[in-house]
Amino acid sequence: MATVEERVKAVTARKLGVDEVKMSDNFTADLGAESVDSIELVAMFEEEFGIEMDEDAALSVQTVGDAVKFITKVCKEQGVEIE
Amino acid sequence: MSKVKKKHRLIDAKEPNLLEDIFPYDLPPLIHLEGPAVEYIDGKPVEFDFGAVKDRPIFITDTTFRDGQQAMPPYTIEQMVHIYDLLSRIGGPNGVVRQTEFFLYTKNDRETLDQCRALGHKYPECTGWIRAVKGDFRLVKEAGLKETGMLTSCSDYHIFQKLKFRTRKECIDSYCEVVDAAFAAGVRPRCHLEDVTRADIDGFVLPFVDRLMEMSEQVPNELSAKIRLCDTMGFGISYPGAELPRSIPKLIYKLNHECGVPSDRLEWHGHNDFHKVHVNGATAWLYGCDFVNTTLFGFGERTGNPPLEGAIFEYIALKGGTCGIDTRAITDLADYMRSIGLPIPENYPFVGRAFNTTRAGIHAGGLRQDERIYNIFDTAKLLNRPPRVAITDKSGADGVAHWINEFFGLKGDDRINKIRVHKLARWVIDQYDVEGRLTTISDQELEAKAKEFFPDYWQKYKSK
Repeated sequence: MATVEERVKAVTARKLGVDEVKMSDNFTADLGAESVDSIELVAMFEEEFGIEMDEDAALSVQTVGDAVKFITKVCKEQGVEIE
Repeated sequence: MSKVKKKHRLIDAKEPNLLEDIFPYDLPPLIHLEGPAVEYIDGKPVEFDFGAVKDRPIFITDTTFRDGQQAMPPYTIEQMVHIYDLLSRIGGPNGVVRQTEFFLYTKNDRETLDQCRALGHKYPECTGWIRAVKGDFRLVKEAGLKETGMLTSCSDYHIFQKLKFRTRKECIDSYCEVVDAAFAAGVRPRCHLEDVTRADIDGFVLPFVDRLMEMSEQVPNELSAKIRLCDTMGFGISYPGAELPRSIPKLIYKLNHECGVPSDRLEWHGHNDFHKVHVNGATAWLYGCDFVNTTLFGFGERTGNPPLEGAIFEYIALKGGTCGIDTRAITDLADYMRSIGLPIPENYPFVGRAFNTTRAGIHAGGLRQDERIYNIFDTAKLLNRPPRVAITDKSGADGVAHWINEFFGLKGDDRINKIRVHKLARWVIDQYDVEGRLTTISDQELEAKAKEFFPDYWQKYKSK
């Protein structure tokens, strides 16, 4: 089973049409995510991991690395098995 | 930069102070007046107690069927009766909309008046409007009206240039003959001082009004002449320090305190040629006129008159309560006016289709968090018009989420968050970025997409 990091990077690359995604990448500044891209990404993460995220908390995440941490935390809170 | 006179200390807070004593939200923002206003009149300071307006019996009068109708094709009888009925609803049982005036010259004019009165409403009282011609009182009497307006133009532009009087005295004598005819007919004359803000106040207006007051002393109180101050060209000025004849404070003071016209016989009638019409009306209330004459949506000669609906909200703001006014009837009247082909600009306050519609995504975001941030008052409660967002490329997901929630009527925890509207938000953005669209997305298009993307909600809230 792929890791949370691998799955987050794969979803991000697919959605934003980029080849390489680094943990330090900022969704907006480095990967070019615009307003609607951000909410689509959150929706895609929710679908990928089978979780529901708080809107404000999820949209305040800035980098790929922070997204991995945030999603990992939500998965644990919601009893979703990962890795 | 000028020298600092006073330091101001931050009063830190962890809870917001929303100033709800001024902005109660379920009412329009209230106008609290403190301390006297001072105006220098003939070189001496005169104090005006604005706060007294809260307890003074002030009223709105209406001229939708007279001045309002002079600016547009005539209404049918049926339309006028319907409008009158709704005017009565707006003003409520206390008669905040106290009077409305009718032409009396044609068979249709008289038929309209009869049908309006047949509705049996106490308010607005029906009054007439005639030229200052003695013979016209026959019409007023035949119609059974107790009061009529009559044109007593008072600037030299009118006295000499239009009416061709040889002297001012000849003019006053002529007007007074008609006033006498009114008294003789048992009809209260309401003298419309046309073009008063361009008249010689000391040389004509005050002597004329003095004479009207003397004549009124000879008749029963209910016949005594009323005075309507007509700012025919919109020249009136509201702020202190302005000179006569343009100063509204000085005009009212002189009539009120020098000529002795009581406030309940003083009325202000404005025009909007300089965008001052509403505040000039409100100013007249504050300085001692009990009546402000208005038209629905400001429809009136040239640039129009004080909008009645604006006066309604000013009234509530000054009084601190609705006093029986039905503000929702304003929306019904606007809908009716549109249905009979009278356009109201989209951004027109209180009734335009977009008056409380925001287009900016950042404002929509504010609305979504707390609608008070970008809505003037509870427009859903007072006007049956919840705040809305118009969807464009600037609306963002916040705007789309707000639209969807309003469309399905979702409140509180039932509201859909913006993550759930991502498909619709994407469709909106693609309309502009991919399709090259340049226009606002219509409600009809959004409704079709709402049905497509939110079938469960559609089934629950829209399929009945």
